[in-house]
Amino acid sequence: MFRKILIANRGEIALRVLRACRELGVEAVVAYSEADRESLAVQLADEAICIGPADARRSYLLAPAVISAALVTGCDAVHPGYGFLSEDEGFAEVVAAHDLTFIGPRATVLERFASKEGTRRLLGDHGLPTIPGSDGMLRDEMHALGEAERIGYPVLIKPSAGGGGKGMRMIRTPRELESSLKVCRSEAKAAFGDDSLYLEKWLDETRHVEVQVAIDRYGHGVHLGERDCSVQRRHQKIIEEAPTPALGPQARQELAERAIRAVVEAGYENVGTLEFLVDRSGNAFFIEINCRIQVEHPVTEMLTGIDLVATQIRIAAGEPLGFSQADVRFDGHAIEFRINAEDPAADFRPGAGVVERYHAPGGPGIRFDTHLYAGYEVPPFYDSLLGKLIVWGPDRETAIARGRAALAELVVEGLITNVAIHQAMLANESFLDGRMTTNLLDRVGSAAFLAAAARS
Amino acid sequence: MPEPARTEPSRPERSDADRAADHVAIDGLTERLLPALMAKLSATGLGELEVREGSWRVRLRRPADGAVRDKRASERAARTAAGHHAPPPSTTLAMTPVGPGRDGRDGRDGSGASGDRRIVATSPAVGIFQVAADKRAGTRVRAGDRLGVVDMLGVPQEVVAPMDGVVGASLSESGDAVEYGQELVVIEFATAAAPAPEA
Repeated sequence: MFRKILIANRGEIALRVLRACRELGVEAVVAYSEADRESLAVQLADEAICIGPADARRSYLLAPAVISAALVTGCDAVHPGYGFLSEDEGFAEVVAAHDLTFIGPRATVLERFASKEGTRRLLGDHGLPTIPGSDGMLRDEMHALGEAERIGYPVLIKPSAGGGGKGMRMIRTPRELESSLKVCRSEAKAAFGDDSLYLEKWLDETRHVEVQVAIDRYGHGVHLGERDCSVQRRHQKIIEEAPTPALGPQARQELAERAIRAVVEAGYENVGTLEFLVDRSGNAFFIEINCRIQVEHPVTEMLTGIDLVATQIRIAAGEPLGFSQADVRFDGHAIEFRINAEDPAADFRPGAGVVERYHAPGGPGIRFDTHLYAGYEVPPFYDSLLGKLIVWGPDRETAIARGRAALAELVVEGLITNVAIHQAMLANESFLDGRMTTNLLDRVGSAAFLAAAARS
Repeated sequence: MPEPARTEPSRPERSDADRAADHVAIDGLTERLLPALMAKLSATGLGELEVREGSWRVRLRRPADGAVRDKRASERAARTAAGHHAPPPSTTLAMTPVGPGRDGRDGRDGSGASGDRRIVATSPAVGIFQVAADKRAGTRVRAGDRLGVVDMLGVPQEVVAPMDGVVGASLSESGDAVEYGQELVVIEFATAAAPAPEA
């Protein structure tokens, strides 16, 4: 096991990793930007080190600063959290070159899965069905138009690097494709430093279902079931739950088993998530792999009782997984609500400010992962996630009832949050019936959605 | 346990030649274009500059915390004009010097207030501090003079004097691990009313 881990992230995930380190008996140093000096992770850490100014490009995204911080504080491993440098194989490589361990897949493994398009091909070769798409990266406009014609409109433009909906666009006509290519390229370039794009067939009314895997360095791996992340706004997940209401027990198990077999064969290691789109008939198409811990990992933790962050750290330290598929049990139903500093009545405009009053919900099956505290000033420089409310119940109905109660208990004053959209969702028929699709919110529009919930 | 053999499928996508061409282009932009643009941005009152070259586009934006930055820019410009060397352009984008001091503030606490007649030079990076040998206590310095460096992973980042004055106490010693924004060297005001020791 490691002696001391540098936590190179912020917000709730920095705190989550800090807690895992405490549990494992590993010392931890929180690396922070000037804007996060008053953050909860910094206050609770035994040791913290300022690595740069508020601008993430000069702090959380600046690899030399992160590695320098790890070296001067005597760390032997770096936990990247999610976002920032977590899926940057170049960073993982430089970390290793300084005799530090990157907590995640090794750089060689990350590189193999770095390109979304290459990964689709690789895992397609290992038996995962994929969405029809362009032959490789789009070279130019002519190539793009030709490929879109072959696949058939509508198509989806996707950047090879990164995620979170940046650089992505649904395209209905050749004309739209011509005008969007440039914008998507510059968005992708700005967000990920890589402007390679590819095309995919656009599937209407899909569900987003993902499979969590954990594989040690010796090729021993398990799946930890799936999560449904269909409630999204412009490709950003808002609510995640498990098991998915989209598939029956048999189909869920088959999907998860196919996924773990393919990634083990393809040489993946550590925790990871394989994302699938599921169409109306229940066909699952592999879309991408996330080579890191995910925001929604607690959903799986609630069902399996397995600490995914601790597992991730132990695997990176070279420990064998220590359990097999037969040991993994799935119990009940869990739902995660992402509490964001966003105004759902104003097109989810992100906000910042001081948390004047704060109260976290509690009770059976309630977990709230957050970095909030009363008096905390939410800085405007980073993503809008304030916390994750995770509710568990023996069945979906109980989980939903607990979700309603917990959302009503939650108090965050001084900031506008998206709690109203969660409450509206828990009054929405499609959601209650488990029929939600990824376009549900965008199609209706958040304002109309809130209004409909208010009427009901 | 031995590690099983794994297939190593080749990664498709861009060729090595494409990558090499990108690297040459990026190096060219970094070494030639960026310093010129930075000088231009510093010399003018513009907030933002954008230049297109081939398939590349470079945009420079002045940080929002105007006052301090503007002051520093003019200090640097003055220093360059006075015949001092401008900091060498960095060869990789990731290693761009992160600049002097903390954003928008020159000292961590009230020590920077003018009433104190002293101001503290802070660390531009997280790393190992080295005091400049020729900047002992009592040395007269001008704003922008190098007081030492912080080695961030082999790349020295300059610790510069935030104002004209006389080097006072060193708050960190050579070889110390320092964090970004840490107070390193005190600079005392040197005015006609309170001349510096050697004056």
